[in-house]
Amino acid sequence: MAHEAKSRSGIPLKAFYESPGGDADTLGAPGTFPYTRGRFSQTRSEGSWIQRELSGEGSPAESNALMRYLLELGQTGVDIIGDAPTMSMMDPDHPLAAPTAGTQGVSACCRQDYLELLDGIPISETSVSSSIPAVFSIAGLIHAARQGNVGPEKLRGSTIQVPLYQEDCSYRIHMPVNFRSRLSADCVAYCAETLPRFHVFLEDTYYFSESGLTAIEEMALGFVEIRHLIRQLLGRGIDVDSFAPRIAILLNCSMDFFEEIAKIRATRRLFARMMRDEFGAKDPRSHSVVITSHTSGLAMTAQQPVNNIMRGTLQSLSLVLAGVQAIEISAFDEALRTPSRESHLVSLRTQQIIDLESGAAQVADPLGGSYYVEALTDDIEARIWDMVLEIEAKGDVETLVDQGYFKEIFHTAMERQSQNVASGAENVVGVNVHQMAETDDTMLRDLTDSKFPPCKDHIDRIKAFKAARDPIGLQRGLAPILEASKTDSGNLLALTIDAFEAGATAGEIAGGFRLGCGAAYDPFGQMEPPI
Amino acid sequence: MQQAKIIIGVMGVDQHENGAVAVMRFLREAQMEVSYAGLFNTSETLIEKALAADVDVIGISCHSWEYIHYLPDLMQRLAAGGREVPVVVGGSVLTARDRMELTELGVAGVFPAGSQPDEMIDAIRDLAAVRVQARSEAAQPA
Repeated sequence: MAHEAKSRSGIPLKAFYESPGGDADTLGAPGTFPYTRGRFSQTRSEGSWIQRELSGEGSPAESNALMRYLLELGQTGVDIIGDAPTMSMMDPDHPLAAPTAGTQGVSACCRQDYLELLDGIPISETSVSSSIPAVFSIAGLIHAARQGNVGPEKLRGSTIQVPLYQEDCSYRIHMPVNFRSRLSADCVAYCAETLPRFHVFLEDTYYFSESGLTAIEEMALGFVEIRHLIRQLLGRGIDVDSFAPRIAILLNCSMDFFEEIAKIRATRRLFARMMRDEFGAKDPRSHSVVITSHTSGLAMTAQQPVNNIMRGTLQSLSLVLAGVQAIEISAFDEALRTPSRESHLVSLRTQQIIDLESGAAQVADPLGGSYYVEALTDDIEARIWDMVLEIEAKGDVETLVDQGYFKEIFHTAMERQSQNVASGAENVVGVNVHQMAETDDTMLRDLTDSKFPPCKDHIDRIKAFKAARDPIGLQRGLAPILEASKTDSGNLLALTIDAFEAGATAGEIAGGFRLGCGAAYDPFGQMEPPI
Repeated sequence: MQQAKIIIGVMGVDQHENGAVAVMRFLREAQMEVSYAGLFNTSETLIEKALAADVDVIGISCHSWEYIHYLPDLMQRLAAGGREVPVVVGGSVLTARDRMELTELGVAGVFPAGSQPDEMIDAIRDLAAVRVQARSEAAQPA
């Protein structure tokens, strides 16, 4: 497609710019190895990147209404977050879940929930991403596709894989690290065959870097996890080019404008070289990693929440200049509450203004060749790689997980972050500079200070659903889960899809996983297996 | 010299630890004896851990709305058991209205976003003072 971009004064713009003699090997043009300057040589004319909001609240039906609202506003993909129980593979009828069900994301635990969640969402055309545990979000998406007669080959979107660090700083699922790795590898192996367009292998560096990691630590730990999962898959005899094109990275975007841009450019280059030279990938699509980003929730302040709108704008502009494939902006009220509809609206409009009014997305890698950005890219690339090698030199990464090596890194970062803000080493407007008396800090408080209750009706519904199931059918769904978890045979995602069909819930299937790998059915000792 | 003893915990399935980890660090630097009750507490388990550690103050870090459920229960259980352990609550999700409601419930200290470390350290020291004094006297040689 011809590139017909012009500046506001009518100056014709090229798809990208380079030095008169062409750029050195390390840089290359956008769309060419090593992809420092981006995956594509041209920006696409419309919807340059997927513009979406991480959303979910209440019952599946309520979250469905929220997604429809966002699509009506011009959201170009959906991205679903589960509530704390859903993220922890617990059903809403668990006694610990009741006080929080639906308050920080959608409550979804069974086939019917996913059918309602995705009802009427055009999943054959719209990318469906989620931060819900992969094995359940994929199973749910496949059931929704079957219900809507959408072929699995049409499904696009992504789901996060978090095998190494989940128990250290995210929603715990109380399973050993080797089992978590298997679960991830099973998902990737299954989707490599059946969901050819779906990014099943989304390395999520966002959640663990919210502990306050530096950009270098974030990407080093991300690469360690990517490499670990790739090695698991290669160990199964799976061809690298069968799954590598489905690898994507969901990274964080903090407030250091140029460092974030350099981080993304360095990540693309490191990934390309690693895949080609170390893992022997031959397909060019295996070399150019898809990058998506969620802007930092940690950067959002409870004080003067209107300032967060400016933070989201700057962060998303840096992501656009770095050439990412999808963006979600943290809601301005995020420090205080599950995002309001109004804050989702502001975040979406921010992306739309950058895309349609600013001209920032007309040229690929507009900062390429900047002395500063190139030097920072080279520097951060070297530092990330040094840290990857340093960690891997310490030994088997699963052993490091068990020894608490990574947990220590996360906790140190949490302490450092808080000290930096308390001491003023890091400026945060409204927090340690340009503060305002609480009585004057009233703008947007009507939105930020509102709360809503847990979705009790949905809990009751799940209880009734469970009571009405056919126990023999349920047994047929759950028994293979237990067996496969014990014996390391079978594909756990394929079996989960069947178990959903048989009426099993995420909490019950997860309980089967745990029993199979020698852990307690319910880590809190409050639920019994249904059969 | 006896030090104030505090336990910090997170309730329910809220799994955000940034606040708890950060607060524990500066309380320890202020020479307090801090134990961590960790995640997944209910009112019952947190009280149990607090009594086992014989603390002067119970601290709750929250980044979800679960405190709305747990705090009334926790305060009631403490009162019913005749345990006069002061409770403090901190977290960026706490609003001005929450502070009022929690104070009405009998929560002794509410620390929303913007609370300074020194302010929290002083408040916790004050709440622990009577018990710390009693321990110091008991520790004096006869």
